[in-house]
Amino acid sequence: MLETFEAFVGVNFWTMIFAWCNLLILYFVLRKLLFKPVKNMIDSRQKEIDDMYSDAEKLRADSEVMKADYEEKLSHAQEESEEILKHAVRRAQLREEEILREANDKASRVMKRAEEQVEMEKKRAINEVKNEVSDMAIGIASAVIERDISREEHEALIDEFIRTMGDS
Amino acid sequence: MDISVTGPKIYFEIPLFGGIKITQTTVSLLAVTVLLIVAAYFLTRNLSKRPGRAQVIVEKLITMLYNLVEDTMGKHNLVFAPYIGTLFLSSIAGTLIGMTQIFRSTTSDLSVTLAWALVTSVMVWYHTIKNFGFKAWLKGFTEPIVVMTPMNIVSEIAQPISMAFRHFGNVAGGSVLTALIYGALAALTSFLFSWLPEAVAAAIPPIFQVGIPAFLSIYFDLFSGFVQALVFSLLTMVYIAGACPPPAERREESK
Repeated sequence: MLETFEAFVGVNFWTMIFAWCNLLILYFVLRKLLFKPVKNMIDSRQKEIDDMYSDAEKLRADSEVMKADYEEKLSHAQEESEEILKHAVRRAQLREEEILREANDKASRVMKRAEEQVEMEKKRAINEVKNEVSDMAIGIASAVIERDISREEHEALIDEFIRTMGDS
Repeated sequence: MDISVTGPKIYFEIPLFGGIKITQTTVSLLAVTVLLIVAAYFLTRNLSKRPGRAQVIVEKLITMLYNLVEDTMGKHNLVFAPYIGTLFLSSIAGTLIGMTQIFRSTTSDLSVTLAWALVTSVMVWYHTIKNFGFKAWLKGFTEPIVVMTPMNIVSEIAQPISMAFRHFGNVAGGSVLTALIYGALAALTSFLFSWLPEAVAAAIPPIFQVGIPAFLSIYFDLFSGFVQALVFSLLTMVYIAGACPPPAERREESK
């Protein structure tokens, strides 16, 4: 069979039509099979990564805010506890002073009463001594002068005597 | 020896519409289409958010394509990226399929590159008319001055022809050069062994054809094929981008 060839540099209209058909088919098939799915895959992955990063960024910002919040609260709490402690100390001091004062008062009251009692006992003792001394003096005097002067006179005499003694 | 430089072999002719010739190019075009579709199917069969090794490479390439389109044409023209990618893949696969020696490179047939270049031109015309109006398109030929009109028309026609011939010429020229070098190496073999009896010399295979053409193939097929595919795609991008300026600019110019 004789082999026939086309011209080396020549245009065959039907070959052009075949070329167009092949190009068209390839265009549609490759677009559907290759370009679009791969591009979509790349884009969706890119989007996913972007989303993940923005989410992480958002979470980080949130946690930053929360951290600041907690720190503020913490420092606040510290201040508060210091305040409470100070308050308690002051109250305890006040109470201590009060208790001391009360105790002092009580003690001084007791002392005063004791002193009064002592004073009263002294007075009574003095009175008793005085009575006895006057009785004794009466007895001695009546024995000495053997004169029975009335008791009232004697007592008045002795009282006067004591007063003058006390005055001198 | 004879070295014949021919076009694609004609396998048979369908006796319709004045004869549809089924050539090597037709078969190669079909092979490229099937190959690319099958490759695309297997590469994108198991797409997942956590990519495997193949998916990483595919994604990298697609990202490069979209970045290139965005850099050259602008963000508003990303819709053209699949077409540019298809064109690039068709071109490079069409060139490289010639290395199999089973198929002929599709791009060493002027019909194919001219068909692609005309698609670019038609897209440019369509988008110019769509974005600026028919009048503005016609008026564009008279700029900057009316005298330039014939030259503008010539340059408009020359554009697809130059694109087609550039791509075709590079690939076809490469194959011609490769054929010449094969012939030269065969001649060298028979020359070096010419002192032997004729019967012995004829039995020695053209041993110099081993190795040396491989390095040429790296340049003519791999490098040149890649560069031409890139150039063709880049030119298409630049021309279409010229017809599709950013939306803000478009409104200003149409006023």
